[in-house]
Amino acid sequence: MQIKKILILALFISSINSFALASFESEEKFVSNFADNAISILSNESLNASQKNIQFTELVMSSIDMNLISKFVLSKYWKLATDDQKKAYQVAFKQYFISSYANKLDQYSGEKVIIVSSNAAKKFVIVKSNIVRDGTDTLKIELDWRLLTRDGQTKIIDLSIEGISLIIAQREEFQSFLANNNNSLDALISKLNSINNKN
Amino acid sequence: MKSKLVLFLILVSFVVSGCASATKDQVVAESIASQKVSDPIEPLNRAIFSFNTVFDKVAVRPVAILYRGILPEFVRNRIAYSLDNLSMPVTTINNILQFEFGKAGVSTARFVINSTIGILGFFDPASYFGLEADYEDFGQTLAVWGVPTGPYIVLPFLGPSTPRDFTGLLSTSLIDPTYQVGNSTNRDLFRSYRMGVGVVNFRSENIEIFDDLQNNSIDYYAAVRSFYNQSRNSQVSDNLEVSPSINQDNLFNEFEEFDLDDNYIGPDVSISYPE
Repeated sequence: MQIKKILILALFISSINSFALASFESEEKFVSNFADNAISILSNESLNASQKNIQFTELVMSSIDMNLISKFVLSKYWKLATDDQKKAYQVAFKQYFISSYANKLDQYSGEKVIIVSSNAAKKFVIVKSNIVRDGTDTLKIELDWRLLTRDGQTKIIDLSIEGISLIIAQREEFQSFLANNNNSLDALISKLNSINNKN
Repeated sequence: MKSKLVLFLILVSFVVSGCASATKDQVVAESIASQKVSDPIEPLNRAIFSFNTVFDKVAVRPVAILYRGILPEFVRNRIAYSLDNLSMPVTTINNILQFEFGKAGVSTARFVINSTIGILGFFDPASYFGLEADYEDFGQTLAVWGVPTGPYIVLPFLGPSTPRDFTGLLSTSLIDPTYQVGNSTNRDLFRSYRMGVGVVNFRSENIEIFDDLQNNSIDYYAAVRSFYNQSRNSQVSDNLEVSPSINQDNLFNEFEEFDLDDNYIGPDVSISYPE
């Protein structure tokens, strides 16, 4: 009887332990690889601008679900679009997205992303990380990465900086632009292209 | 003095109306609902926003660049720490008003340790003792009490706000202990340091981010509006001890929906690189 109780207790304790340790190791590794690679490409002095662009684009395309993001930020307008519009939009959005993320991540060149923890949130996994400000130990910026695994493939679908989701902000921006421009997707596409040509 | 009394009455009426009905669930639900941007005076807001953008360009940004250019990183980090430290007393007050007595202890201990061992707050030894920084303002306290956020407003010079946050901002001078210390010269000095240097310090940390936003946004106004609302919602989620990502989770719920009834996979996109 005594032994049985101890066994049950031991089983119970070990299950608590494994529950407490249940983190998403592969997702954490995925994020830290992406962040390290991104920062090392963007801060690599030996690459010229176009080499940086090519390498960063490859990294982004292999790690971020651009196809889904492009549709999500357009929301209901995606369903209303013609095939030609969809094609033109996705080409423009991809370039816009990559240069916009390159600019945002470029702020953190030379700094290191430290993975803190990970948890499940509905069908997503959130990986929490910190960037410690240069020259301090305790001034931190919180970066949360949202990941989705579909068909056995894990991809990043959002980056949230200090609680601000970049994809939700992007979506509100697009919805606002469209609402202020007669709901014209063509106007949005040409606006994207004009920004792309400037950069 | 009279204006302070009026403010106080506004506050009390807010509190009474808020406490009467709010439960945590309602506050959370309201916070989720507020993800839908409420901006009824958008044309006026946009006009003020344009004015603020110009003001920033000619007055604030140049000072921030100068500040970052002249002062070495070490000094700027000391200033950032001391500003954080000066906001601890008002954080304590808000912790108490939110009935978070444990957190009130942490913020008090932080202030005492960093003001002494940390040499007037220029260093942050408290963090090494495991006392993590957490900042509370009266806008967040109002949120905890169940006061609705109200529509998005852009204030001249001060920028994005809501009626709730603006009330919180005005009340800060009433409840912040560091504004009550010493004679009026001291108070003014403190206030100028915290407001003036606070703004410049914040701006100097975000020069590239704002430049990038201004130059590359599809709709700069909407981007800033989203940043502000999301940032405040996330702080309030922390106060209510709900998962900070709960609002985001709900929005992302429809993320895959576009692939379900849609066979369009998208073009095999290729980009040409200008040399």
